Amino acid sequence: MSAELAGTGPLLRASIRYDGRRFVPFIALATALSVSSVIAYALVFPSAEARAGLAAALGANPALGLIFGPARDLTTVDGFNAWRSLALGGFLAGLGAILLVTATTRAREDSGQAELLASGVLGRASRLMSAVVMALGGSLVLGLIAGLVTVLFGGGVESSMLLGMTFAATGCMFTGVAALTAQIGSDSRTSNSMAMGVLGVLFVARGFLYSISAPDWTTWLNPLGWIGETRPASGNVWWPLLLAAGFTIVVLALAFVLQARRDFGQGAIAPEPGPARGRDRSPFRLAVRLNRGALITWAVAFVVLGVVFGYFASSIKDVFGSNSAIQQILAAGATTPEALIAAFVVTILGLVGILASIPGVQAMNRVRTEEMEDRVEPVMATAVSRAGFYAGNVAVALIAPALCVLIAGTLIALIASAAGIGVDLGTVFLQAIVTIPAVWTVVAVSVAVIGARPQVALAAWAGVLISFVLTVLGPSFHLWDWILAISPFWHVPNVAAPAPNWSGLLVLGIACVALTAIGFAGFRRRDLAR
Amino acid sequence: MNASDAAIDVQGLTKSFGKFQALRGLDLRVERGEVHGFLGPNGAGKSTTIRVLLGLLRADAGTMRVLGGDPWRDVVELHRRLAYIPGDVSLWPGMSGGEAIDLLGTLRGGLDEKRRAELIERFELDPTKRGRQYSKGNRQKVAIVAALASNVDLLILDEPSSGLDPLMENVFQEAVGEAKARGTTVLLSSHILAEAETLADRLSLIRDGVIVQTGTLTELRAQTRTTIHARLERGLDGQAPSLLHDVRVDGSSLTASVESSRIGEAMALLTPLGIEALTVAPPSLENLFLRLYDAPAGGEAAR
Repeated sequence: MSAELAGTGPLLRASIRYDGRRFVPFIALATALSVSSVIAYALVFPSAEARAGLAAALGANPALGLIFGPARDLTTVDGFNAWRSLALGGFLAGLGAILLVTATTRAREDSGQAELLASGVLGRASRLMSAVVMALGGSLVLGLIAGLVTVLFGGGVESSMLLGMTFAATGCMFTGVAALTAQIGSDSRTSNSMAMGVLGVLFVARGFLYSISAPDWTTWLNPLGWIGETRPASGNVWWPLLLAAGFTIVVLALAFVLQARRDFGQGAIAPEPGPARGRDRSPFRLAVRLNRGALITWAVAFVVLGVVFGYFASSIKDVFGSNSAIQQILAAGATTPEALIAAFVVTILGLVGILASIPGVQAMNRVRTEEMEDRVEPVMATAVSRAGFYAGNVAVALIAPALCVLIAGTLIALIASAAGIGVDLGTVFLQAIVTIPAVWTVVAVSVAVIGARPQVALAAWAGVLISFVLTVLGPSFHLWDWILAISPFWHVPNVAAPAPNWSGLLVLGIACVALTAIGFAGFRRRDLAR
Repeated sequence: MNASDAAIDVQGLTKSFGKFQALRGLDLRVERGEVHGFLGPNGAGKSTTIRVLLGLLRADAGTMRVLGGDPWRDVVELHRRLAYIPGDVSLWPGMSGGEAIDLLGTLRGGLDEKRRAELIERFELDPTKRGRQYSKGNRQKVAIVAALASNVDLLILDEPSSGLDPLMENVFQEAVGEAKARGTTVLLSSHILAEAETLADRLSLIRDGVIVQTGTLTELRAQTRTTIHARLERGLDGQAPSLLHDVRVDGSSLTASVESSRIGEAMALLTPLGIEALTVAPPSLENLFLRLYDAPAGGEAAR
């Protein structure tokens, strides 16, 4: 056995140094998730009355249960935190562990670095072992930090630490899953997708079974269900974590057995051959093809978002009921209940719009990535003009977010109008449509940056960031209108208002066209891959 | 489009990246129908020149005509008539080789179906593999097939055969020869000297962003010295005659170089000394290359 693991120590130290940082964002996100619940709870729901209202409104909403799972006790800060963070925090830890394990095992084989390592004094199992030890350790650190920081910010000691340990346990289980899929997939991408697929399916299955009130024993079929049964702040049951440990050990053992039989750089599943002839024959088709996987994922995400926001909208009256802070954040100065609900619809569609601009900006950043990886060069050496190439990509970057807004908007319109809260389908749908120009303006910022100044590609995200900060947080800071007006979403007219301010669309149109023109002019003029 | 005879005519081309001057007044002329070797050490500016010719980079100064057009302004029109093979081919990871060939071919304006099939066969390329599964040599083959299967007037090849095995290197040279026979002009940047020696009608040698030598292989050879190895019965007395350069005497053996045009004189000089063994190495491109590039950077080209 020791020969099998020769060199694990030095390799592990090097891996932690070079790859450890991959896991840091997940530690930060999981911790922020838990801590923000504790902080927000006291601010947003100061009174016992407000808390009871929250418990009644959210606890009974099956759409939210789909994501967050059962709301066992929303009347205490720890109970609220457990409800809000348990599922998502575990999801983050699992995701981080999967990415870390795949990046340090199969991705190394695909890139050739592992070949250099494997030819050195290194046991056959050492690379997998060092990846596994790093991910298990990372998960535990994530759990401890999330728990301790939550306690520092006022969370209960036992429930917060238990919550942190549920994150760690999920991270450990998916370290095992990723180690296993890394032996099965034909390359790192496939291995990653398989492990993430397992995580996604188990996550949705857990929420789905809960929201349709399936029999209790079904919970025990799903490893993520075990995690939920720890019930932080509602009983603090520690022993289900032992099940998670058992699961991790069994799956890891299987991974090591398979790894011993596997050829370097190959998985158990041989890659499928591709088509011998191609059908993508234009820059637009190429752009669609390159973004296809990401866009399908986003489309599914917006279906889920539409359903969740739709149900959220339909329970709006109960949620608003007695809460002044939410009114302030979401509705920013609306007065009558009808106007309040209309403003709420504008706000959630604005949120949908901000999120929908992300795939658009991603599609534009993809242009830069392709360029730097020398894949634009052979295309530009064919009879394709700069403008033609850029237009194909810009089209994808504009169409994709518009579709996302329409998907979520349609679902919100359908669900909210059926709930009898005084909004009709046509108005909500129209509101979704007038949100699109604001989304395009945000994307147009990235069109301008990637076209004219791609060296500062990070600036492509400026539109998304500004919109988020000003639209979501701005009103609660009582900022002046001229600052809020920097956000494109400030200009979106409220179509339910007696006299909608349509001139906002003109402003957005001008900004959008100007930014896009800058992008095209820049792309036409600049050196490629510089 | 003017009536310039040359397929490529570049004068005084300069290009800087920030403070770094990549090209400093480069002149390059490639006649129609010829295979023109473009040689130089790493970082001399070969790829930068090619990228300017493809309209990927914008020249700072200089005049340029490619197939009679302006490579920056007439991009689309020119690119219908030329094909390019980069030295380090990067393929789309999830796209099969066949799909990439068809994409690039169609974007250029169409492929010769028969030649596409024939080239895939000759290069033993599996077009159903995905980009991420190909080895370096096979990625190169995908780009070669995509470029050579098009009917174009000009092929711009930037170290096209890097990563190919010797067998495939032969197939590649044949295929370029056939393209030339069809009347295609070829600009062949290479650091494989044998490849350039076999294929090229004329050569341009670049160094530090300027062309330092240009001409046919014979012309360039004439400017180079032939190396002579001789074992002599009697050593050279006293000073070596000015005819011989780089003289090295080790006992009875003599190594020296001599202007290619004056080999006869050298023989006349050595014969009286009693030649026991003699090797005369013709000037190779390699010699030429080494002579040019051994000289200190920035200085005038060594002769």
